Amino acid sequence: MLNQIATIIADGILLGLIYAIAGVGLSLVLGVMGIVNVAHSAFLMLGSFFAFELFRRLAIDPTISFFLAFPVFFAVGVIVYRMLITRVELAPQTQGLVAMFGLMVLVESLGTIAWTTDTRVITAAYTNRSILVGPIMLANVKLIAGALALLLIIAFWAFLRYTLTGRAIRAMGQNRFAAMTVGINVQALSTIMFGLGIACAGSAGVTLGMVFPFSPNTQILWLAWAFLVVILGGLGNVANTLLAGLVVGLIQTGVAAFLPFDYVYLVLYVMLAVILVVRREGLSGAVHRWI
Amino acid sequence: MLSVFFLKSGERRGWRAWAGIGFWVAVLFALVLYGLIGTRLFFLSTLGTVFMYIVLTQAWNILGGYGGYLNFGMVTFFGTGAYTSAILFHYFGLSPFLTAPVAGLTAAIAGLLIGIPTLRLRGAYFALVTMIVTLAVQILALNLRYTQGALGIYMQPLGLSPLNVERLFYFLFLGLAVLVTLLVYAIERSNIGGALVAIREDEDAAEIIGVKTTEVKWVANAIACFIAGVVGGLYAQRIMYIEPTGTFSFDISLNTVLMAVIGGPGTWQGPLIGTPLVLLVADALRVTFTSEVNRAIFSVVVIIIALYIPGGVMGVLERWRRRGRETSANDVSAPERAA
Repeated sequence: MLNQIATIIADGILLGLIYAIAGVGLSLVLGVMGIVNVAHSAFLMLGSFFAFELFRRLAIDPTISFFLAFPVFFAVGVIVYRMLITRVELAPQTQGLVAMFGLMVLVESLGTIAWTTDTRVITAAYTNRSILVGPIMLANVKLIAGALALLLIIAFWAFLRYTLTGRAIRAMGQNRFAAMTVGINVQALSTIMFGLGIACAGSAGVTLGMVFPFSPNTQILWLAWAFLVVILGGLGNVANTLLAGLVVGLIQTGVAAFLPFDYVYLVLYVMLAVILVVRREGLSGAVHRWI
Repeated sequence: MLSVFFLKSGERRGWRAWAGIGFWVAVLFALVLYGLIGTRLFFLSTLGTVFMYIVLTQAWNILGGYGGYLNFGMVTFFGTGAYTSAILFHYFGLSPFLTAPVAGLTAAIAGLLIGIPTLRLRGAYFALVTMIVTLAVQILALNLRYTQGALGIYMQPLGLSPLNVERLFYFLFLGLAVLVTLLVYAIERSNIGGALVAIREDEDAAEIIGVKTTEVKWVANAIACFIAGVVGGLYAQRIMYIEPTGTFSFDISLNTVLMAVIGGPGTWQGPLIGTPLVLLVADALRVTFTSEVNRAIFSVVVIIIALYIPGGVMGVLERWRRRGRETSANDVSAPERAA
């Protein structure tokens, strides 16, 4: 019994780490730039297929794909920013939202054309193995994915905290105009910021693809997870996002232990509603409390 | 709390406005006439679908177009209505024509459940939650006992010839489309419509001058969901068989957004223009492309419109009209408008 509980908790923590990186890109783009990236999960899905294709065609291990995905999706993010976001940045928010919605549907349908709606899994050599840590049985993939996620979060946190660019990003999040006044190139920084957000989504997608089965048309579920992490943790704060991810992961494994699998999603949506009622602040309120 | 009164239209109606209304009335007459004498099943059924989508898009338009709160999951409420009707028929033998209002009410309750937490907040919460909730409802429909999961629910045939069935739904949806368009027209000219536009333009300012922003959004959303539910209930009877994947198809959500955005959100004419445009193009594309390619093309159209022509067709028309007025203007109001 006690072992079971320990396993549930360990599982929850590992999943939580993955959810945290799924949410971190969304949270930073929203918190610093005020852009609601509805298409975030579409890029998570693309990340999974990136790893899937590399593994299938070139036999590249997902662990390596995780690091490859970061620069590749950074470039994708920069392109999306240049082509899409710069045009709607100053327009009313609904316009940007419609554009991102269009992008989400576009990526999803292109994904469906390329990979059909079949559910895929990445089966690496270690996928179905697990190891015994003390009394706890842990799946190898979850351990690896969790470790990668933790690595990314720490790197991100250190980047924001200790580098000049990171500081500039934080400054921009606190006050865009003041940042501009002291000489920060807000335009260039926004490009980097959005690129990083999508890069995070790509790498997060690789870890999600290692752990869960995926298909192009269920990516919206991942948006639900990422969004839940974001509203639970607030915006633009890596440490809080990590904490929120862990909470969500623990709740999921906890609920899954008692209820049939599909009802986990219902619990998720109830949680979403409850949190939205409790946290009464709008997006702007959360932005001002940034770090 | 939300007393409705109608605002006096500030500008005097010019001949253009009357010509516009005359045009729509003429179109309506032509459609009624065609419904009475037309015998081509394909045309009747396609037009019936156009009218159904006009109703949905007008409903979306109330909160999305005027209020600027985008519902990316219209199909959730549509599907809720469809399932309500189907379940009431399956277990109690009630005809969907009778239970359509009940279907609307269930959808409105679903709308309130989603709207109450999300519409109290500014920004994109509502859009995000409506988008992700569709899948949850679909999962529910797949797993609940009452909905018979993936098996779906069959409805009883009406006992009419196929042509007459299509004709029945042709007039049913045409009537609904006219009713809902009139409703949207009335809302546009009421203080609720004014409040919604104020919310879209500047919610803080709206609140300061005394608009009960949250309540207005709730009401607008509930009305929209009610309409979507009624349409869903009737759709269940029309299509005769509903199951979770098709009934909660994301395409329906995408279509409503697309139609409103192309036609011109926040105008009562927008859905009337956008819906036939999209459906005709979709029908033409369906011959050569698969539905995924179709969807990809439409999503590109959505992006292009959002980036370059945010007002849709109505926005373009309005700009032309203004330009025409400015070039011929010799009154004092011209520079004001230019600013």
